[in-house]
Amino acid sequence: MTATLARLKAHFINWREWELNPVVIKELRQSVRSWAVTGMLLLFLVVLFITSLVFLVNQTFEVTASERLGGDIFQAFIIILAGASIMFIPLHVGVRMASERQEGNTDLLYISTLSPTRVIRGKFFCGAYMTLLFFSACMPFMAFTNLLRGVDLPTVFFILLFLFVVVCAANQLAIFIACLPVSRPFKILFAIGGFFMSYWLIAEVIFGAISLMRSGIGSMMGERYFWLTTLTIGGVISAVGGLFFVLSVALISPPSANRALLPRIYITAFWLFGGLLVGCWAWQVKEPMMILVWTYASTVLLVASLVVTVSNHDNLSVRVRRTIPAHRLKRALAFVYFNGAAGGLIWVTVLVVLTFLGTVQFHTVATAYGGTRGYAPADFLPAFLEVYPPVLVYIFAYALTALFIQRKFMPRHSPKIAGIFTLLVAGLAAIGPNIVLFFLNRLSWKTLENLQLGNASNLFVIHEPGPRMAHLVFACGWLLLALILNAKWFVAQVKNFRPPPANLPPRLN
Amino acid sequence: MKVQVTNLRKEFGRTVAVDNISFAFDSGHVFGFVGPNGAGKTTTMRIISTIEEPTSGDVLLNGISVCEEPELARRAVGYVPDTLPAHGDITVHEYLDFYARAYGLRGKKRTQAIEAIEEFTNVTGIRDKHLKALSKGMKQRVSLGRALVYDPDVLVLDEPAAGLDPRARVELRELLLLLAERKKAILISSHILTELTEICNGVVIIERGTILETGTIDEVLKKSTPRRTVAVRLLDIHRHQHPLLLKELLQTPLVENARDVANEIHFELAGDEAAAGDVLGALIAKQFKVVEFRQTKANLEDIFMNVTKGGVQ
Repeated sequence: MTATLARLKAHFINWREWELNPVVIKELRQSVRSWAVTGMLLLFLVVLFITSLVFLVNQTFEVTASERLGGDIFQAFIIILAGASIMFIPLHVGVRMASERQEGNTDLLYISTLSPTRVIRGKFFCGAYMTLLFFSACMPFMAFTNLLRGVDLPTVFFILLFLFVVVCAANQLAIFIACLPVSRPFKILFAIGGFFMSYWLIAEVIFGAISLMRSGIGSMMGERYFWLTTLTIGGVISAVGGLFFVLSVALISPPSANRALLPRIYITAFWLFGGLLVGCWAWQVKEPMMILVWTYASTVLLVASLVVTVSNHDNLSVRVRRTIPAHRLKRALAFVYFNGAAGGLIWVTVLVVLTFLGTVQFHTVATAYGGTRGYAPADFLPAFLEVYPPVLVYIFAYALTALFIQRKFMPRHSPKIAGIFTLLVAGLAAIGPNIVLFFLNRLSWKTLENLQLGNASNLFVIHEPGPRMAHLVFACGWLLLALILNAKWFVAQVKNFRPPPANLPPRLN
Repeated sequence: MKVQVTNLRKEFGRTVAVDNISFAFDSGHVFGFVGPNGAGKTTTMRIISTIEEPTSGDVLLNGISVCEEPELARRAVGYVPDTLPAHGDITVHEYLDFYARAYGLRGKKRTQAIEAIEEFTNVTGIRDKHLKALSKGMKQRVSLGRALVYDPDVLVLDEPAAGLDPRARVELRELLLLLAERKKAILISSHILTELTEICNGVVIIERGTILETGTIDEVLKKSTPRRTVAVRLLDIHRHQHPLLLKELLQTPLVENARDVANEIHFELAGDEAAAGDVLGALIAKQFKVVEFRQTKANLEDIFMNVTKGGVQ
């Protein structure tokens, strides 16, 4: 602690020696010479100029002066700016990162001593500076709209700030996709997916910006609710960006590093604060069902974490083992957060169980004491209790089955395939019965609603409590079997999780 | 700085690129890394430079493991790949500047280091040129400059002489000898074996991911060519004595494979220098007018051809 404080103190005392992140300098140098960036910027300016010209020329044909001309032009500008910045900048940042991550490319980042955090931070800041460049090019046009009436200055700045945060988060997502350890065709597929997703994002941003502009930010600035909403949305976007940042850092860290630690801590904090935030909102607006936003978001995140967790290596590097605490309690905590599939499984299980219990408990308490407003179906809780647990039990059963297959039958192959097997088992359980029915010529919409034990997605189309209970019993049986099969492996992992013997070489630095 | 490669193995799917190889080299040494294409040289060099992870085994740089502490190990290694990326948007100076910054050089120290490296690698005149506009030789210089900018103790050069003209090769050789004098441990792969013989202290010959020979050049030469080849030339007017000389030699103990090569007689002697002296003495005693008696030393190329079969994985 004292050492950290001393380091921080020394850092701030020597502020004259602070230098920009080398990645930022390099990237910006390359960007200003890049035809893609300069061309896009010029095109952007030309489009802005022509748009303003078209609006102004149109106005000359009107008999009366439009009171909303500024607002109309601003709307057009926002569409252009959102389109250019959400589509182009993340694509540019992502492609550059991906090209440097290519196998065989010995260039730049990976043969220098830049830490993974500095590399990702540099890439992120470069994207942010490029966004600022585009925004500053647009700024005179935006300010001009204020002179034409129809939009107030706070609205202009607020919407620009909002858009800036969204573009930065999109840049971070692009960096994350570029860091994924997949081959180039897969990255291209992801990029195409991201490209289409950006249409949705642009539409949402434009819709939000136009509604904000119509309401007028200036008039809402005195309201507490406005600031709470703004902070919540801004916080959520920043937290999601932060999550992708942490994941990107983990992806480019060396395999010998404790790569799981930071993402697991971040996701735990994200889950906890997300729950508190949504809980407060749900209580405040008297909508207990709002907690489901947190429940489902956390579940998606934790299920993705589960797939990654079973793909973790079992053997810890000496470097990680050196940091395992000797104290039992601390070691137990480290087991959950350090590299390794076994600890990761405990971590995901605990968070999933707490998510389930938290949702049920919150809904019960909020309905009883906080009061409800609007739509609050009486049968929400029974339906939730019938579907959520069996689905989750199935997902764990799939993951543990895949884990067993990989560890038992393919120990020489990379544990990564356990994650792929999880998806395959889930896919097979979902499609398998229907393929059989297809070949028996008995597949119809009606048959899809019949009981298909082992198929988690079947739970979403059947509505009777009986078949749902049958699913729960079957899923629990499968999970129990998978747990028994993996028990020996799990015990071995727990036993192996201890500091290295004293004869190992000391830490070198 | 001691570089120890221990039981290094690297698999790419079912292909074993490097199969349990071990060797070591030290500061001030230039170690040649020789093998046919696809022998596993580049993979080994990339592992030493922390770019690739081994499947098993390790490389220790003064005790620092490239697997366990790649960030620390990276500080000690400068890697010169066989190709330099052709960026059209970055100049030589900016490229070196980025590396100097990335390795934590600050302010004046950075400026001085870059200037020194530009001068050392003779790229001062092209410092404002874009990387894309450089010739192969110039790119190799920049690549070397990049690897040297933070003054690493170990240099790993993958085919640095490939595609260079004779002058550039000579200059590169001089640079490497200078670096060896500065106590750098240098590992260099090349297909131009005659050049390696001139600058290397040691050599590793690798094929199909397995080491065939390793040691100092002299050791390897001795081990690979236990028989010495001797050339004998008689006075021109006595050349008609060649058949007689051949007959005489074939009757001499330890002498094998005597043959007429151009104006000389070559034979293999399965003995040491004293034995060679005895043969010479015997020839003179039998009135052969010997004007030249020399041992032809096998070079790296001969050894390479002898020990490798040209196989790839």
